[in-house]
Amino acid sequence: MKNSMLIAVREWKARMGSRSFVLFSILGPLIILGLVYLMFAFGGQSKQHWNVLVADPTGIMGNKIMASEDKSVTYAFADGYIEMEEFADAKKYQSFDALLEVNEKVLSNKIGFVFFREKPSIRMQTRVQYHFERRLEEVMVKEFTSLSLKDFRKIKQPLSVNFRDVYDPNNESSDLSGWVGFFYGAIIFTFIFLFGMTIMRSVSREKSNRIVEVLLASVSPNQLMIGKIIGVGLSALVQFVVWVVIIGLGLYFMRETLFPDMLNAANMNVQELTIQAGEQSYQENMFAAHEYNQFVELVYNRVQFVNMTAFFILFFIAGYVFYGALFAAVGATMGSESDGQQFILPLIFLLCFALYGGYYVLNYPESPLAEVLHYLPFTSPVVVMVKLAQGYYGPGHVYEIYLTLLVLITSAFVMLAIASRLYKNGILQFGHRVRLKHIYKWLKKS
Amino acid sequence: MNSMLEVKNISKSFFRKEALNDVSLKVNKGEIFGLLGPNGAGKTTLIRVINRIVEPDSGSVRFDGELMTEGHLSQIGYLPEERGLYKNMTVEAHAVFLGRLRGLTKKDVHTKIDYWFDRFGINDWRKKRIEELSKGMAQKVQFVCTVLHEPKFLILDEPFSGFDPINVELIKQELIEMRAAGKTIMLSTHNMKSVEEICDRAALIHNSKKIAEGKISDLQSERKMGLYAVRFQGSMIAFVNALWTGFEVHDKDILGDDRFVMRVKMRGDNSFDDLLKVLIGQVKIEAAWEVLPTMQDVFIDLVQPKVTE
Repeated sequence: MKNSMLIAVREWKARMGSRSFVLFSILGPLIILGLVYLMFAFGGQSKQHWNVLVADPTGIMGNKIMASEDKSVTYAFADGYIEMEEFADAKKYQSFDALLEVNEKVLSNKIGFVFFREKPSIRMQTRVQYHFERRLEEVMVKEFTSLSLKDFRKIKQPLSVNFRDVYDPNNESSDLSGWVGFFYGAIIFTFIFLFGMTIMRSVSREKSNRIVEVLLASVSPNQLMIGKIIGVGLSALVQFVVWVVIIGLGLYFMRETLFPDMLNAANMNVQELTIQAGEQSYQENMFAAHEYNQFVELVYNRVQFVNMTAFFILFFIAGYVFYGALFAAVGATMGSESDGQQFILPLIFLLCFALYGGYYVLNYPESPLAEVLHYLPFTSPVVVMVKLAQGYYGPGHVYEIYLTLLVLITSAFVMLAIASRLYKNGILQFGHRVRLKHIYKWLKKS
Repeated sequence: MNSMLEVKNISKSFFRKEALNDVSLKVNKGEIFGLLGPNGAGKTTLIRVINRIVEPDSGSVRFDGELMTEGHLSQIGYLPEERGLYKNMTVEAHAVFLGRLRGLTKKDVHTKIDYWFDRFGINDWRKKRIEELSKGMAQKVQFVCTVLHEPKFLILDEPFSGFDPINVELIKQELIEMRAAGKTIMLSTHNMKSVEEICDRAALIHNSKKIAEGKISDLQSERKMGLYAVRFQGSMIAFVNALWTGFEVHDKDILGDDRFVMRVKMRGDNSFDDLLKVLIGQVKIEAAWEVLPTMQDVFIDLVQPKVTE
C-alpha cells in the first residue's frame, strides 16, 4: 500500500503541476458559468426590449394599450394602414421591431397580426399578446356590455384543470428535478471520461517511455495500477472541488448582483401561480408562468445540494474506480500510444450509453429497463442520480440505493481484479497491435 | 563461496514461444557476473524473472540463500535495458521518487542523493527537468537512481549504452569499486571488452538455453588454440630461421622498423619453454605470452555454429 501511495502522490503531483489541469480547473467552471449566464440572460428575464408600432386605422385602441408601463415593450401608434412590405423597407419604420396590426374586423373575428423583423421569444410574444388582449377586452366590455371591467373579469374565468399524481401530489418528482439528477450524473461521467482518459494516457506513456520496467522492479503491477487510479482520482477530486467553489461563488455572485430582480420571479413557484389563477385571466396566468424562469428555479431552488452531494460523492468514487480500472487495463494492453485510438470509441460509446440510460430513466422512470439500468454498474451512477432527484427513494425504496451502491462497489472490485490481470500481462508487451485474442489470453493467464 | 543468486531450472514461454528453457545459473557474492547472449536469447526475460516482473512457468530463484520474495526487491538495484524517466519531472524529484519506492525513508533519500549526486558530479542538474537532459546525462541519472539505495545486488542491462568513453570508464570504475565494497553485480551486455575487463564469471544464453557458464579465464582457456605471442626487437628472418621445423608462424604485427609481435603455433611436443629457448640469442625478446581467445571470440565460437545449423 505504501508503494501505491507513493505512485499516487507522484501521479497527483504530476497532474496538479500540468498546465492543462490548471487551465481546465479554471476555464471549465468559467465556461459553465458563462453558459448559465447566457441561459439566465436569454432564457428567462430577458433584457430585450421591443419597439412596437400599432397600426390602428379605425382607432379601436384609442391610442392606448396598457394601463401601466411595461419596461420591455414600448408602443407607438399610427393612424393609417401600413403594408407589411412598407414596414419592412421604409426608413421611418426601421426603429420599430414589430408592427401590430389592428384591423377593423378584430372585434368580430378576434384575429390580430404582429409582423416582426426578428423572431421574438415566446415570452415576448406572450407579453404583446397579453397587452393586446387586455386592451381589446376593455374596448369590447365597453362596447358590447354594460358590465364594469372588474365584473367582466370576474365572470371571465378560465377553467384551470390541474393534473396531479396521486403518489406525488406536490409534483416533487418533476421532470425538472430529474434533470438536476441527470446533470449530476453527467458531471460524474464527464469527470470519469476525462480522468479515465488521463489514466489511460498515463499508463500508455509509461509503457512507451519504458519507465514502467523500472517501476515494476519495485512495485507490483497491481500496486502500480491502484496507485495510478488513486492519484488521478485525487486530482479529479481536487478539480471537482475547485469547480464546485468557482461555480458556487459564480452563481452566488450572479444572484446577488447581475440578476437580483430575477430572484423574485424565481421565488414564485408553479403551484402558487396556479392557485393565484383565480384572480387572474388565463393570459395573465400564462404570462406569469413565462416570466418565471424555470432554469433559475432549477439552479437555485430545486437542487437538494446536501442530500444529492453525499450520494453523488459515493457514486462518483465507486463509478470512477469501476471505469478507472477499465481505462487502466485498456492503457496497459495498448502496444503504443496511438494504438489506443481504436479503444477510445467503444469507451465513448459506453459512456454515452450510460448517459442515455440516465435520459431514458428520466423519461420512463417506472419501466422494467429502468430497473435494469438502475443496477447495471455501467449506468447506475447516472441513473441513481436521476432517481434520487426524482424523489424515488421514498419509504420502502431506500434500500435500493444502498443495494445499487453495493453492486457498484462489488463490480468495481471485480473490474479491478480483471484489469489487474490485463495490466499485469499486458504492461510489458510493447509494439504489438492489440487483438482481442491477446486480451482473451491475458485474461486467462493468472 | 556463498551464492548471492541461484537460478534453478527456470522455464518461461510467451504464447507458445519459448523464452527460457530450463536455465540454471549461480552468481557468487562479491563478483561481477556477465550475462551474455545474442539479441532475443532470453537474457531480459531471465532478468525480469529475477526481478519478479515476470513469473516463470517453472523453476525457482533463491536470493542470498532464501527463496526470492517481494521483500528482497529493495535489496536489488535494477537498470533495465529499455529504461525511461518521467520527462516532466526534475532530476531530484525523480531520484526521490525512485529512492522512496525502493524503500529509503524520506530523510535517508536526501542524504543518499547528496552523496551520489556529488560523486557523479550531477549536483547542478538537480532542478533540471529530465526533458532538458541529453541522452548521456539521462543515462547517468538512471544509473544514480539505480544505485541510490545502495543495494546488495545490482542487475544492469546494457549499462554502457548511450555513454561516451569517459563515462563508460567512470561507470566501470564505479562497478569495480562496488565489487571491492562487497556488492554483487550482474551485467548483461554486448560489450565483450568490458566483460573481459571487469567480469569475474559469465554465463551465455542462446536460443533460450544456457550454453556456457564459468570464470572468464576458464571460458577463454577452454577455447584456446595453442597460440603464443612473442614481442621482440631484431630481424624477422632471424626469428623465422630460429623456429625451424618445430613451430609454425600464425600471423604477425609490425610495430616499428625492427619490432614485431609474432604469433606462433607449436608443432609436435614442443612447449612454450622450447620456443623461448630457440629464440633467446637470436632476437631481443621484450615479452612473450600465451594467446587466449577474446570474449568476442568465445561468444562467436559458442553462438555462431548454432546460428548456421
